[in-house]
Amino acid sequence: MEYPEMHRQIVDELLDGKFVLSRERHFDEIKENEGFYIDFFKISFNHELEINNEFARLISDETDENLSRDISIFFAILCYELDRQGKNFLDALQYSEFSMEEINYLFDNSSWIDLLQSNKQLRDSDTRKRFIFSSMGKRNIIDKVSDERFYFTPAYKVFIDFANELAGHTLNKSPGDSDNGN
Amino acid sequence: MIKAEPKTILHFMWSYFDVLRELFDVQHKDGLIRKETLATILQRNKRDIKPQLIEYKLLRKVSDDYELRDVYYKLIEFVLFEFRPLLPEEIEKFGVSISDLFRNIKDGIHGDKDILIDRIRGLSSQIKEFADSVEKNSIRLLNECRELKSNVNQLDYREKIQRASFWIQYYILPLNSILDVNHSESITNKMLGISEFANQKRLAFTDEGIRQSFEKLYFQLIQTNDDLLKQSKVLTNELLPLIDRIRTESLILTGWITFLQSHNKIQPPKLLKSKKGNPYSKRVYLNTKEYFEQFKADEEAIIVDDDQEYETWVFNKTKYKRELIKSLPIDNFFDWCHEQLKDETSEITNEKVFALTGLLFDDEIEVNANPEMKFVSIKTKTSKLSVPILNAKKNGIS
Repeated sequence: MEYPEMHRQIVDELLDGKFVLSRERHFDEIKENEGFYIDFFKISFNHELEINNEFARLISDETDENLSRDISIFFAILCYELDRQGKNFLDALQYSEFSMEEINYLFDNSSWIDLLQSNKQLRDSDTRKRFIFSSMGKRNIIDKVSDERFYFTPAYKVFIDFANELAGHTLNKSPGDSDNGN
Repeated sequence: MIKAEPKTILHFMWSYFDVLRELFDVQHKDGLIRKETLATILQRNKRDIKPQLIEYKLLRKVSDDYELRDVYYKLIEFVLFEFRPLLPEEIEKFGVSISDLFRNIKDGIHGDKDILIDRIRGLSSQIKEFADSVEKNSIRLLNECRELKSNVNQLDYREKIQRASFWIQYYILPLNSILDVNHSESITNKMLGISEFANQKRLAFTDEGIRQSFEKLYFQLIQTNDDLLKQSKVLTNELLPLIDRIRTESLILTGWITFLQSHNKIQPPKLLKSKKGNPYSKRVYLNTKEYFEQFKADEEAIIVDDDQEYETWVFNKTKYKRELIKSLPIDNFFDWCHEQLKDETSEITNEKVFALTGLLFDDEIEVNANPEMKFVSIKTKTSKLSVPILNAKKNGIS
């Protein structure tokens, strides 16, 4: 049986929880053999392959809930603080390069400081840096520009969609029951 | 009749503008000025100017209360740039009057000359008012949206979404369709038709006075259509994306705040757990077992002593250092090592070569690698070592 080119790299990275981005060569291989990989991962591992125009990733019930929760908290606070500064955070996530200095300023002055201090990954500048460059970097959620600078890959959209859906549920469920900490 | 001179009225307005502004703000908010509010404002500003306000007809009595007369209200509104956003219906009415006047002009084109000129003037005035209203509305809506974006009123995100949706649904989209030149029923489209008609008549009409009126109307329409196009662009390129962005972002922020408020109870998005084993993962037992099993030898290993004597070699650093310094400069250090060992010992082993390599770190010796990074092979009893060509010379002496 013949496997698509770069099969091993595709399997290794996806099983490692990585987002394979559209700019990578093996993304094209996945896209070209979409049907094969959907079946392959479903039959071999019972994982769903999510593939769109920007990235491919595996979804499964074997989820790294702690990491996902920490990343969600990270994006939630980042969006909230950027908005407080009057910035369009969606544009910033999509187009801007961030420096650790900027991130630390936003997080250290956040009104969610209690929550941040109780979070082992985000509580100070060192842990945050490790979290961004290592935990998020390993999964291709950010791209490192230098030791102090990075930008987000389209993988951030998974978390923005999550917030959007959550808002949909909240607004449908309990009108007049919000508190935003403004 | 107003007895006062126009300059006196304008001077009065200039002198007491702060009071007038407060009155304007009250009317802007409440629709009229209660007599108690008027008294409070005058008292707070220490101005006893009620008689003049009435005499100069700035204020009008409405039952027991007051209101600023429309002309002054509009003047203050204009100089303050604080316009009330007009409902699309209020703007749409200009469309009706413009259409009616245009129809009458067409129907009575060969009728009475004076009424035709009056109708052209009336049409021109309606067009002016229409264009003014659109411009004022765009300015007002843009201000509203920017205020909403900077959240000066500290609205929560749910309220921001509602406000943004409200502006889009009731003001921006209807105003956009009024200005949409591609829509056959839009006022802008009607005005294009009028402009074409005025263009023909300004060139072809026999009466010069009417020709001039049509010419004036035609140039006014060209300017107005340009202005409206700009307003339409402000709406589509700036206002709609801005307010749409506010709505989307507020929605996302509502979601994030819900999440942050109870992040331990809400299931975050699924992220595949990496397959690399953690000590506490359920697979670790089998994985570890498998790992160690690969080293498990089935056959028993027996160590048999042999009586063979082995050469005991002790590295005499002083002696080799002396030899090395004597031989300096050396082009190939490992070659030198090989020669030394070949002459003095029965066999060359890795251990002996590595022991001699230690001499390279002596302070008295300066070592340089071959610039081409060439490698040579040295054969030992058990291995074939690939080592770089290193030049050695006495440190500090070239």
